[in-house]
Amino acid sequence: MAFTPRGGDRGGRGGRGGPARGGRGGSRGGFGGDRGGRGGGRGGGRGFGDRGRGGARGRGAPRGGRAGAGGARGGQKTVVEPHRHPGVFVARGKEDLLVTKNLTPGESVYGEKRLTVETTPANNAGAVNGEVAPATKTEYRVWNPFRSKLAAGILGGMEDIHMKPGSKVLYLGAASGTSVSHVADIVGPTGTVFAVEFSHRSGRDLINMATHRTNVIPIIEDARHPLKYRMLVSMVDCIFADVAQPDQARIVGLNAHLFLKVGGGVVVSIKANCIDSTAAPEAVFAREVVKLREERIKPKEQLTLEPFERDHAMVVGVYQRTAA
Amino acid sequence: MSVDYLLHESSVGYAVFKVVMQADSIGNRLKEVQDKTQDLAHFGKMVQLVSFAPFQGASQALENANEVSEGIASEYLRTVLETNLPKASKKNKITLGVSDRNLAGSIKAAFPSVECETGETSEVVADLLRGLRLHAGKLLKQLQEGDVERAQLGLGHAYSRSKVKFSVQKNDNHIIQAIATLDHLDKAINTFSMRVREWYSWHFPELIRIVSDNQKYAKLALFIGNKTTLSEESLHDLAALVDDDESIAQAIIDAARVSMGQDISETDMENVMAFAKRAVSLSDYRKSLQGYLVSKMSIVAPNLAALIGETVGARLISHAGSLTNLSKYPASTVQILGAEKALFRALKTKGNTPKYGLIYHSSFIGRAGQKNKGRISRFLANKCSIASRIDNFSEAPTTKFGDALRKQVEERLEFYASGTAPTKNEVAMKSAMDDVLRDINIEDPTAGGASDEEMADGVTAQATEQLIRQKKLKKARKEDKAETEVTEPASKKKEKKRKRESEVNVDGDVKAKKEKRGHSEGAAEADGKKKKKRKSE
Repeated sequence: MAFTPRGGDRGGRGGRGGPARGGRGGSRGGFGGDRGGRGGGRGGGRGFGDRGRGGARGRGAPRGGRAGAGGARGGQKTVVEPHRHPGVFVARGKEDLLVTKNLTPGESVYGEKRLTVETTPANNAGAVNGEVAPATKTEYRVWNPFRSKLAAGILGGMEDIHMKPGSKVLYLGAASGTSVSHVADIVGPTGTVFAVEFSHRSGRDLINMATHRTNVIPIIEDARHPLKYRMLVSMVDCIFADVAQPDQARIVGLNAHLFLKVGGGVVVSIKANCIDSTAAPEAVFAREVVKLREERIKPKEQLTLEPFERDHAMVVGVYQRTAA
Repeated sequence: MSVDYLLHESSVGYAVFKVVMQADSIGNRLKEVQDKTQDLAHFGKMVQLVSFAPFQGASQALENANEVSEGIASEYLRTVLETNLPKASKKNKITLGVSDRNLAGSIKAAFPSVECETGETSEVVADLLRGLRLHAGKLLKQLQEGDVERAQLGLGHAYSRSKVKFSVQKNDNHIIQAIATLDHLDKAINTFSMRVREWYSWHFPELIRIVSDNQKYAKLALFIGNKTTLSEESLHDLAALVDDDESIAQAIIDAARVSMGQDISETDMENVMAFAKRAVSLSDYRKSLQGYLVSKMSIVAPNLAALIGETVGARLISHAGSLTNLSKYPASTVQILGAEKALFRALKTKGNTPKYGLIYHSSFIGRAGQKNKGRISRFLANKCSIASRIDNFSEAPTTKFGDALRKQVEERLEFYASGTAPTKNEVAMKSAMDDVLRDINIEDPTAGGASDEEMADGVTAQATEQLIRQKKLKKARKEDKAETEVTEPASKKKEKKRKRESEVNVDGDVKAKKEKRGHSEGAAEADGKKKKKRKSE
C-alpha cells in the first residue's frame, strides 16, 4: 500500500472538527518530565501517577457525563463485536467503547471499567437436545484512548497493529503496565509480551501487574541497551515503542536488529515535543520516519493521534533485513 | 573472517553451536540468503549443536543473567566454554561469535586462544545469532514445548525484582519524599491555621490583632481555651508562649476581659481545641521533618547543602530524580531546573530563555542587583553543579568545598556591588583541598612523619625513608661533611615534587578538581598503607 500520512478522523469518534490544529497553548511537558518513566528515573518516584494524566477520566475521558461504577455495565444493552484487528473488540451500548477480553476476569488493572457480556442460550449454538446450555460470561475491559496511545491509534484507524492472539510483542516504555495489560489481553494466553521499562518506580507497578498476567514478562532495564536483556527475550513479531526519547528511532532500531523477526511489525508512537520542541511537529515526524528507514524499517503508515494526544504521531513499519 | 563457533545465551542455559557451513559476508543481505536463515530446514544445516548447558535452578539462572548483562563471563560460562571448545593453539585460533562486545572482552581475557566476533563487528554473526534465537526452541532438542517461555517468565520476574530491590539511589529517595512531604505540609499547615483563626475568632476575635503569627496563635488558642478562665495568674505561662514578652501577654489578658467574642459551649470549645491541637502538632511535625531533611542532606549532599541550603538542594535533587542525575547535568541545565515551562515557551517563540529556576529560592539571587541577577544565577549554577559532583563521587562527606564555594558566591556578589576582586577559583579550591587534607592528616597522627615524601609507583614512603637513612649512614661513616649534602638533595627533591603537585592543582576547572579529589583519595589510601606498615613493625 502507499505510504501516506493520514489524519486521525477515521475512527469511531472523529470529534476533531475545525482546522487540524489551531489555538493551542504552550508546551505542556518539559525535559520529558511528563512521562516520568524514562531517562534515568527522571521524576520517577516523585508523583503518584507517572503519566501525569490525572485519574481515569482526565481530560474529558470519552464517557462524558456518566458517573459511577458500572456505568457501562448495560448487560443486556451492550453488544460486543469483534474489531477489525483480531483480539480487539468494540462494545456498542449508549456509546461505543474500545474493549479487550479480560485475561484475568474479575480484576481491573488500573481502575478501568469492566463489562460482562452473557451469551444468552437462545443464540448460543450449544443448545442441544432441548437441554439449555449454561450461559457463558465473558468479561471485557474498557480501553481508554486518552490513556493509551495504542488505543488512540486503533481508534484513529491504523491499518495493521501487527498484534493478534498468539503474537509475541516487545513493548518498550511499558511504564506502569496499563497499556501493556491490554496488549496482553490481545495476544492472549498463547502470546507473550516482553515489557521493558527503565524507571524503578513504574517498574514496581509493572511487576505487580505482571504477577497476575503470566503472559507478561517484566524487564526493568534500559531499552537503549537491548543486549543487557537478551537472555529474557526471544524473537518477536512486533515491537511497540512508546519511549519518548530524542533517540527513540535508534532505540527501536537496536531492538529490532536483535529481536524482531524479518517482516515483523514496528509500531512507534512519536511525541514531537520530546524529540525537538522547537521544530514543527510535521517536520519532526518526517525526520523520525527517515531515521526509521535507515534502521531498515520500511514505514507503512503514519497517523496523528488527534484528538486524543496533541502533537503525537503513530508510525507503523515493517522490518526488513534484506537490502532494499 | 569466518566464525567457527557460536555462543547462545538464553533463559534456559548456555548453548554452544558449531558453524558447519560458513556464510558469505558479501551476499549476506541478499533476499535468498536471508530467507535461508528464516527456514529451520536450511538453518539447521548451517549450525550444529555442540552442547547445551542448562542452568541448575532459578538462582543460578539469575546469577548468570546478571553477569551476562554486565558483560562478565561467569564461572559457569567459562567451564561451559572450556569443555566445549576444542583446544586451540596460538597458531590455530578459533573464532567464537557472541552478541555482546563486553562479554567478548571477558571471554578473550579468560581464553587467550579464542578470538571473538560480535554482532556489531560482523553482520554474518549477527544473522547467525538471530537465527539461533529464532530457532532455539527447536535446535535445543532437550527442551520441551514452552520451556523457554516458562524460563523467561521466571527469570524476567527475578531479574526485574532484583533490579528494583537493589536500587542505587536509596538515600536520594528519602530526600525526595521528605521534600515533597514538606511542601504538602506547608500548604496543609497554612490552611489549617487559617481555619483555627477563623473558628477561634468567634470566641476571642481580639487575639488575631495581638498575635498574627499562625503557629503562635494556634498555641495560644490551645492554651487559653475559654477566655473567661484567663486571669493574671496565667501571665507567666502566656508570656512563655510569646517569646517571654510580658507586655504582649498582658495585652492578651486585658483583651480577654473586654472581648466582644461570643460565649462558647463546652462541646464546641472541645472541638475547636481538638482542631487547634492538630494544627499545632502538624507544625511540630513539620519542624522535626525539616530536621530530618537537614540531617539527611548533610549525609547525602553536604556540599550542595552548604552552598545553597538544604531545602533548595533537596528540591534540585528531587527535580533531577536523584543526586546522580543532578551531577550528570551541565551547569546550564541546573540553572534553569524548574523553569522548563518558561524555557520551552521561550524556545518555541524564540524569546528570551529564563535566567533561573529552582535556584532562585536561594538567598543569593535576591540579594543581587537587577542587572546582575542573571550573572549570579549562572555563577551559582556552576558552583551547584560542582558541589553536586563532589557530593556524588566522594566517599567521605565533608562540607569544606561547599563552604568554599559559598564564600566564592558571596565574594562574587560583593564584586558586583563594590568591585572588590574575588578570590581566584584555583586559590579557593586549593585552600579547601588543603583543609580537607589537613583533616585527614589529623585523623592519622602517624602519617605526619613521611607525609611529605612523594612516592614512586609501588614504593612505599617507608622504603624511601629507609633508603635515605641507609645512604645517610654510609656516607656519615665515610665523611662527616656529606650528611648535609645528602639531606639537601632530599629536601630539594621535596620542593620539586611539591611544585609539581601545585602545578597539577592549578586549573580552576572542574576537571582539575576531580583530579584533586582522586589525589586526595590516593593520599588517604597511601596514609592507610603507611599505617598498616607501622603496625606491622
